Order: sequence, then structure tokens, then C-alpha cells
Amino acid sequence: MDLDLIPAGLTAGSLYALVAMGFNILYRPTNVFNFAQGDLVMLGAMVGASVMALAGLPWLAGAAAAMLCVAVLALVEERVAVAPVLKRSAHGHSWVITTLAISMIIGNLVGRIWGPDPIAVKPPAPLSTETFYLLGMAVSSYQLALIAVTLLLVFGVEGFYRTRSGKAVMAVAEDRDAALLRGIDPDRLSRWSFFLGGAVAALTGILAAPLLYASTGLGPSLLLKGFAAAAVGGIGNNRGALLAGYIIGMAEAVGAAVLSPGYQLAMVFAVMLVILLIRPHGLFGSAEARTV
Amino acid sequence: MRDTVRRLVDSPANGWRLLLALAAILYVAPLLVGTEYRLFVATQMGVYVMVAIGLNLLNGYGGQVSLGHGALVGIGAYAAALAMVDAQWSFWPAAALAMAAAAVVGAMMALPALRLSTWYFALVTLGFAQVMEGLMTEWRELTHGFAGVVGIPQPALLGYALPSTGLYWLVLTLDLLAVAAVASLLRSRFGRALIAVRDNPVAATASGVSMVWIKMFAFVVSAAIAGLAGALFAVQKTVITPEDFTAEFSIFFLLVVVLGGAGRLWGPVVGALVFFLVPELLAALQSWRLLIYGAALLVLMLYAPHGLVGAVEAGWKRLRARLGLSNIAPLPVTGAQQDGGIRPIDGVALSVRGVEKRFGGVAALAGVSLEVAPGTSHAIVGPNGSGKTTLLNMISGFYPVDAGAIAVGGRSVIGLAPHRIAHRGVGRTFQTPRMMPDLTVLDNILLGAFMAETQGALAATLRLPAARREQAQSLAEAMRYLDFVGLRERAMEPAGELPHGQQRLAEIARALVGRPRLLLLDEPAAGLSLDELDRLGELISAIRGLGTTVVIVEHHLELVANICSSVTVLERGAVLASGTPAEVFSNEAVISAYMGAHVRIEAAS
Repeated sequence: MDLDLIPAGLTAGSLYALVAMGFNILYRPTNVFNFAQGDLVMLGAMVGASVMALAGLPWLAGAAAAMLCVAVLALVEERVAVAPVLKRSAHGHSWVITTLAISMIIGNLVGRIWGPDPIAVKPPAPLSTETFYLLGMAVSSYQLALIAVTLLLVFGVEGFYRTRSGKAVMAVAEDRDAALLRGIDPDRLSRWSFFLGGAVAALTGILAAPLLYASTGLGPSLLLKGFAAAAVGGIGNNRGALLAGYIIGMAEAVGAAVLSPGYQLAMVFAVMLVILLIRPHGLFGSAEARTV
Repeated sequence: MRDTVRRLVDSPANGWRLLLALAAILYVAPLLVGTEYRLFVATQMGVYVMVAIGLNLLNGYGGQVSLGHGALVGIGAYAAALAMVDAQWSFWPAAALAMAAAAVVGAMMALPALRLSTWYFALVTLGFAQVMEGLMTEWRELTHGFAGVVGIPQPALLGYALPSTGLYWLVLTLDLLAVAAVASLLRSRFGRALIAVRDNPVAATASGVSMVWIKMFAFVVSAAIAGLAGALFAVQKTVITPEDFTAEFSIFFLLVVVLGGAGRLWGPVVGALVFFLVPELLAALQSWRLLIYGAALLVLMLYAPHGLVGAVEAGWKRLRARLGLSNIAPLPVTGAQQDGGIRPIDGVALSVRGVEKRFGGVAALAGVSLEVAPGTSHAIVGPNGSGKTTLLNMISGFYPVDAGAIAVGGRSVIGLAPHRIAHRGVGRTFQTPRMMPDLTVLDNILLGAFMAETQGALAATLRLPAARREQAQSLAEAMRYLDFVGLRERAMEPAGELPHGQQRLAEIARALVGRPRLLLLDEPAAGLSLDELDRLGELISAIRGLGTTVVIVEHHLELVANICSSVTVLERGAVLASGTPAEVFSNEAVISAYMGAHVRIEAAS
């Protein structure tokens, strides 16, 4: 087998883990799985690419602008599409359809504004996508940086959940009413979660852009692969998502090499279904206690 | 004038007349105003209606959002087209193959997701749609790639190829049959189970419904209908390509269902009709289509969650109310005789030994044991948080047991899923009544008969005589229990409109229709009026009179002392005392720990 598959799989896997982490950040306090998350990632990539490549903003400033922009949009999504349906029925699943609707709206609008052509994005200096050989594998400095940044982000976010504010998030996820009684405002937390989930989505998009290009096609594909990473890792578990991201990235890379690139998605899908069939709650997830 | 309107509105037969008239118009229309183009559009619409009818069963009634129905249509279309073109099959076996292929492939895809939450299923089906779209292009050896399958022949009947009018009639007939099949399925135990899984999974499980099974059942039926529609799609278009079955195509069907009215029998038909009435509008806005779909879904979910049919229904109810007509349907006439009384039940023993349960670091139960003899009633009392409800949840399988043994009728129930324990004869009620608020009280109670009935889904769909007889028997039985708990007058009202106390009584009736051999009641007296409390006491005595073993968690000690032959007192997850009510309530430890020294129990003295 070709050793080059390893960095390719790990890089793609890191991106999927980041998308999954965006899902998880949002899911933990709200129990809402944002179907528009893939399009928020895509939008982050597009906005980032535009302000950096077209407006010439430096990388950090461009990233910050894109993150703020997408975070605000995610907040709007929460207000328009999620809060009203949860208010009507706290345990209903109408948000599946309303967040999907938001995803369709964003996808279509972005396509109209930016057009169908992918935008090439250069990585921030001094990183480069030029490959060199490391232990017999072709890698680029940007790939290595991406893998490292992902590790930092995942463990950083996990560290946050151990702080006081982090525990408040978990408390709301467990029991909204009980958290309310203890002075945690679930609505405020829900707004913050969407805001932060949007920012993480935008960052993911910006990080992905130098490797995958910024294009509207990113949305649906990252939605599914990010979901696969989140589900296989166990919903809500970011370290699980990281490992699952690697598994899915590798499966995809191997599938593309052995079968044909056209079967990539089918390969990811099959791996996910088999794992969920054996472990319904993912590799590191546990069944939530039923409340009766 | 007002009286004429009133008569028109009030006659149920008018609904049928209207339906028959519409159907007749649809059958005759092609002979009068049929052009090839109109026939083509009408047939295509008929095919879409069929997919939507199946999706409505799954999404509207079962609450499962499928974003992959377009792909299932694609599988059906390819299966039929390839069988007819490459293998020279005739249409009918090819259509059967299409149904089987969509059902089998769909089931394989859905099985892992249906065990999990609704949104898992939505995402997995979305992924499925994308994967299938890719495979239809990639798997060239089978699907002919981009070029698709061309030259699909017309179906033949008695050796003659159907003309386009014939295909139209075929699709129309199949659509009407599909609506009728869904309607009779919904009236059976399967329909109630499906709606219960959507509205109140806990109630469904406690009534012996396997959530995974019923969701899978709805999905497979819905996929098979999509497969059949796919076969019709293929012969209607005569050419199919991968581009016909995009992910967008799947979302289109969801929109049709939501637009017409999810969970409304005629919703998908109305939704598809509206879509085809505005084709010019959509053609001009082709590139905005996804945006329009998205905006429409969002607005509908926010402002009209029951779609157009739901809105019309609400208007209809207002009209009836203004005309002074009741919106409550009359009690159904039962075919079976009703005054046969309730047959005795053979109660079983309950044995709980050393049961432990921890939640995180907290020991909710630390080695609890109790024995209940068959046909007796036993109370579990104790302060809040002492583990009473946890114990009930473990006996009925809603929580797994950490350690210890539980046996019902001498057989261990450890490790069994709640619906399996229900099948062992364990019925239960909940602290907060678990009703399906939009269904009538009668339907809520009939859910309890799920286990008692034996009819298969096919028998229920075809309304075979045996199935109808069984349904009539269940209805009669439910009526008897409605009388038993004193709710006959409110049988046809939505359960959500009943006061809390009556919902409790209805929930007990639901448990009883399942003929439980062990009945677990969780704080049945909470929130009851004095009147209802008396009725509850009589009711529990009557239940014990039937022979059922009753275990009751209750704070109302007077009630307990009156109706129970033995009592277990729990405190902080351990047994503080047990024995007859008189013994237990005079126990010093119990008095000081639980009731406070000043409480005097009159009934126990």
C-alpha cells in the first residue's frame, strides 16, 4: 500500500474531526444537530477566501472576519429556525427540517453570489502546500500544521468542558429544567453555542480551503463526513470524533486508491454503517439514560 | 340557508360522495380533455403522489425524516428498467423486483440508524441519497453510467402495450389503492403503534411496541411504495439517467409532504397537486429552486406544521363550531357484544432480590428486595428520592439493572427490553401520564391492545374478516375499560384536553386493555380530586378482583392502607421496613423517618 495515503488520510480526517467538533459544540447544550453546519463551514471558506485572496487581508485578520461573520449567521439561524420550534415542543424534531432548510438557503445564496468556480486559497506564510518527503511519505508543511492545530483545538475544547462554564454546558444537556433552577440560562447558552459552533465551522472552512479549494460543493460533502466522524466517535465526544475522523479519512483515502475516487463517499458511508451497526452509539459513546 | 349549510357540513356521507365524484372526474378526464402533454404531466404527478403517500406514512405518521426517498425511487426505476431492457422481463415482475430492491437496499441502509435518534436517520438517508447518486454514475457495468437506460418499453396488459391513457389509469388506480391501504393500516394496531412511537415513545414501549421494529416496518413499506413508483417512473419516462435522482429530488418529496400536511391522509396528494399547479413559476425560477424549497420548508415548519390540509381542517372545525356542530365524533358502534364483562386475569408473582442501581456516583438503590404474591396488591412508599420510581423502572426494563435479580412469574426479566417485559405481562403507568395528546382517549386506550391482537400487517391493510373481527373485539374491550374507569363520555375527545386526573385514569385503562398479569402504578393518586380518589380506590380494588397483581408507588398512605395487603418502605435506596400496612405504619423507625412522629394513620389502626 502507498505510504502517501497516511498523511492524506490524516489531513482529511483532521478536517472531518473539526466539522464533528462544530456539531458537538452545538449539540451538547442544545441537543440540536445542525444540518446547516456543512454550509456554515463552506461559507467560512468562501468568506475567508474572498477577504484574503480578493481583498488582500492578512490571514489572521481574514480568518477573524470570516469567523465573526459566520458566527453571527449561526446566531441568526438559532433565533429564526431553532428557538421557535424548540419553544413549541422542547423534545420535538422539527429542527431537523428547519436547519436543513437553512442549509439549502445558504447553499443556494452562496452559489449565486460566488458562482460555481472553486477559489484557490494560499496557506498562510511560511506554510506551503508543496510536498516533501518525510519518512517516505509525501507531505506538505501545511498538512502537518493542520494536523497539529486540530489536535490543539480538540484538546483545548475538551479542557474547557472541565472548567466551571464547561460543566454548566453539560448540565443543560443533561436536564434543561434543572439547570434553569440552578441559575443557568439555557436560552443564553443555546445562543452562545450556535455562535461558537458557527465560529468553529468558519475556522474549519478556512483551514480546509488551501487543500480542498473554497467552493459550494464543500457544504454537503463536509456535512456528511463530519456527521460520520461525530457518529462513529460518539456524539458529543470530541476525542472520539478525532479518532473517528482519522478512521474515516483513512478509509476514504484507501477506498479512493483501491477502488476509484468515485467510490469515496460510498466507502465512508459503508464504514460508518458497519460501525454503527456494531456500536450504535459510536466507538466512545454511551447510551443516554432514558428519562421516564 | 344556515340549515342547508349545516346539513351539508354535518353529513359524513357527503365526504364520500365528494371523494367518489373527484375520483370519477379523474378517471374520465383524459377522454374529455386529454392531450399527450397533459397526460404526461398528470401521470408524472401520479407517480410523485405515490412516493409522497409512502413518505407520509414514514414521516408524517412515524415522525422519521427521510431525505433519501428520491434515491429509493431511483433504485426502483433502475431495477425495473434494467430488468426490462437488459433482461427482457415484462413490466409486472420488473415492478415487483423494483419494490423488493428498494425495500431491501433501504432496509440495509436504515437498520443502524433506526435504532438511534430521528436525526441520525435523517442524516443517514441524506448520505444514502448522495452515495446512490454517485453509484448510479460510477457503477457503469450495471447502470450504463451517465447515458442511463434508454428504450424502456411500455407495460403490457393481456399482451397489449398500454397506451398513455392506460398508464395514467394504472397510476391513478395504484394511487387510490395506496391511500386506501395507508388508511386501513393507520386504523389498525400498527397505525396506533406508529403514531405512539412518534408522539410518545415511552407509552409505545410500555404497551409492548418494539420501536425499532415498527419504524423499520414503516420504512420498508414506504421504501417498497417508492420502489413501485420508481418502476412507473421508468416506464413513463422511457429514459432514465442518474440526473433524475439527485439529492434535491429527495428533498422535493419531503417538501411535498410538509406542504400538503405531514400526518394527514390526503396531505401528500394535495402537496403534489399544488406543486404541479405552479410549474411555470418554478420554471422561471429554476436556479432559485433550492432557495425556494428551503424557504418554503422553513416557513411551513414555523407557521403551518400541519400543512395545507392541516390548515383546512382547522378552518373546517371553526366552521362546524360556528354552525353549532360538535367537533367530537360519535362513539363508534362496536360489532362485538359489549356487556360480557371483563374476563379474569391470572396474576403473577413478582420477586425482586438485592437490586442495585447507581447513577454516576449516587446509589439510587442499594440492595432492595421484595416479594409480591400473585393476585395481591403491594405498595412501595418512601420519601421523595428514596428510589421508588427507579425500582419500577427497573422492573419494567426502562433502566438496566446494575446488580441483583428480578423475576416476574418465576422467570427472570433481567436484560430484557421494556417492550419484551410488557409481553411478559407487565403493564405500567407513569408519574406524568404518557398520552398521545392529539389522539382520542379511545385511541390512546386502544394502543394498549397492541399485544392482545395477533393480526398481521397484511391482514390489517386488506381488512380481512379475521382482522376486522379482532379490531371489533379490541374496540369492545376498550369500551368496557372506558366504562370501568368512568370515561365513556369523553372517549372521542383528544386525550390532551382531559384534566390531569382523568388522563391518569385513561392511562390505567390503557394498561388494563393489555391484560397485564402484573400492573405497576406510579403515584396514581397524585393530583386527583377527592372524587377521583374514591374512584381510584374502587378501581384498584376492582383490578385486584380481576386477579391482576398490583404494585403501587404512592404517597397517599390512607389509600395504601385501604387497598394493599403488604407494604415496603424505602429510604435512600434501601428497605426500611416491610410487612402488612398495620405493622409497617406502626413501626417507630418508619414513623420518625418518613412521616414525622405526629402523623397518625387512621386506617391502619
